[in-house]
Amino acid sequence: MSEEIKVKVEHLTKSFGDLLVLDDISFEVKKGEFLCIVGPTGCGKTTFLNSLCKLYDIDSGSITMNGKPIDLKRDDIAYIFQEYSTMSWLTVEENIRYGLKIKHCGEALMRERVENVMEMVGLTKYRNYYPRQLSASMLQRVVIARAFAVEPQLLLMDEPYGQLDLQLKYHLEDELINLWRKTGTTVIFITHNIEEAVYLSNRILVLTNKPTKVKESIENPLPRPRKVSAPEFVEIRERVTELIKWW
Amino acid sequence: MKVAASIKNFLLSLAGFAAILLIWQLGVSFTSVGNLLPSPWAVAVRFVTMCTNTVGRKYTLPMHLLVSLRRVLIGFGLSAASGIVIGIAMGRSDLIRAIVRPLFELVRPIPGVAWIPMAIVWFGIGETAKIFIIFIGGFVNIVVNTFSGSRQVDENILNAAYMLGANKVQAFFKIVIPSCVPYIFSGLQVGLSTSWMAVLAAEMVSATEGVGWIITAGQQNADMPQILAGIIAIAVTGLALASLMRLLERVLCRWRVRGS
Repeated sequence: MSEEIKVKVEHLTKSFGDLLVLDDISFEVKKGEFLCIVGPTGCGKTTFLNSLCKLYDIDSGSITMNGKPIDLKRDDIAYIFQEYSTMSWLTVEENIRYGLKIKHCGEALMRERVENVMEMVGLTKYRNYYPRQLSASMLQRVVIARAFAVEPQLLLMDEPYGQLDLQLKYHLEDELINLWRKTGTTVIFITHNIEEAVYLSNRILVLTNKPTKVKESIENPLPRPRKVSAPEFVEIRERVTELIKWW
Repeated sequence: MKVAASIKNFLLSLAGFAAILLIWQLGVSFTSVGNLLPSPWAVAVRFVTMCTNTVGRKYTLPMHLLVSLRRVLIGFGLSAASGIVIGIAMGRSDLIRAIVRPLFELVRPIPGVAWIPMAIVWFGIGETAKIFIIFIGGFVNIVVNTFSGSRQVDENILNAAYMLGANKVQAFFKIVIPSCVPYIFSGLQVGLSTSWMAVLAAEMVSATEGVGWIITAGQQNADMPQILAGIIAIAVTGLALASLMRLLERVLCRWRVRGS
């Protein structure tokens, strides 16, 4: 991970009518970093991510990527939502190709990238299947593969495994870590699951209740692969749990 | 397994038809129903005769069917083209929805046949009036279904496309339109059957050819076998059109069929 700043958020403020949701949030994300954002339920984590990628207009503050305001046309950003966002009329392969086609990548490059990510997430033999024929974990793998195929500079993930059972979640978390290490993409991952945050991240940003501020940023230098029962792991998890308590 | 189930379903459908024909024949042979209804055999004989000999001035039954079919295809084609465009525009644009929807909701409950007198006043008794009535017959259902589909486009998929760099035009053609296709087909399926109903209504009012005219002429001559032969021709053609539309939907929307 380099020291270069990839994303810089300064004094980000966002309200819905009279309800102040994000209150003067500032932080930085380094290039290649895996940042997890945790906070109490309903604190505005998704609002924060949607503001970051311009799905919502912000009231004040600035969000820059590589020193310039975020521009979805110029900057390669991918977003994985809580719900599956596969296109049901396209096959697995066509879904994964979608972003590359939009960006007018050449056929040779497109084929190479698609074959690589399909192999990485284990979907090669399901390339001609339609989403309706796939299980929940395979659907989420299609979305992850589609995101990684465009080799995004920044990958935003909003509780992507929230709807999966534990076994699938663990499996996909490991797959995500493998992809992240191979590609060096900067990842901002939102979760309400503290164990998941400690397992995945380099750093954890803890948010407060609404109006949301950054409560603390915790470095997570644990070696990989990580063991959830290791004393160091438990120590960080408990520290985050203490910070997140609002009662 | 799938083939066996299809054969079983086909045989059961055949048994249903056979039962109806048997009840019909028994009713005609042994009850007073025979005074009102010709036997199935008499209708079948007339049907074959009408296929080979002219009914009315110059056309055989298949030619009358083709005349009606031509009217339906023109009227339905126009209603499909305009209905899909208006349905999507209403669904995706707040401005167009605000302007068009109240007008559409006003027109929507008016039955297609209520337009017949207006169509005759506006267009006379020629082909244009008939095509207009067929157009109205299909239009409403196609707009309603397309509108409904375009309102239900998954925002997550749209946002995912924008995140991947799609512009509004790309998102419209690659996300909105494909998302609407199943709804459009539902509208087309219903619109096609209402168009087929509308052509009969139009031809019953003013025509010298077409299947609607065959039924009206049969009624005027108290020719019950002709009326029934006309009805059977309508039913078979309607079924064929609906089946063709389903086939087209299966081809274009094969991603919706589980296991294919």
